[in-house]
Amino acid sequence: MSWREVLATVLLVAGCALELLAVLGLVAMRSTLDRVHYVGLAAFGALLVAAAILVRESFSLIGDKALLTGALLVLFGPVLVHTTARSVRIREHGDWRHQIERHAEEEGE
Amino acid sequence: MNEWELVAAILAPALLVCGAVCALASPADGLVALELAGTITTTVLMLLAEGLRRQPFIDLAVVFAVLSLVGALVIARLLEHDL
Repeated sequence: MSWREVLATVLLVAGCALELLAVLGLVAMRSTLDRVHYVGLAAFGALLVAAAILVRESFSLIGDKALLTGALLVLFGPVLVHTTARSVRIREHGDWRHQIERHAEEEGE
Repeated sequence: MNEWELVAAILAPALLVCGAVCALASPADGLVALELAGTITTTVLMLLAEGLRRQPFIDLAVVFAVLSLVGALVIARLLEHDL
């Protein structure tokens, strides 16, 4: 077994473990804002799997696209998490910008 | 079955767990489960592309990653008021 195969297997197992941990977190946590943290963790799991493919295949067609996919998930994961948390906040407590405007109007009077 | 297919087979049932959360929990929790399911599906497609040596699956993974991201953003915006 070459060092490439060993490293690819280690990355593969680590990526799989992170994704399973993320699913466990989704089930175990109680509130939505607690659960949303695990989306980012799963994206890093996908990046580790992409790294495992890259180590095995080097910079081939499949390796490049796996890296692109992993990078996409990790780069846009925080955007997704932020948007979700923002939506949950607005859904539960209303839009804070309206509250700020109302507060400013009250102070102006 | 090689190690890539084995990991794909381990991860695939996790989609059922995400589906159960989507079906049983609140819409906000369902959205989180949907986002997680999108990430897991993308990973499974990458694993199948490598395990089965089928390059079209990796194209599918790239397209699915982008589409699931856009879809989740749209649903998140709708969730603010309409759902």
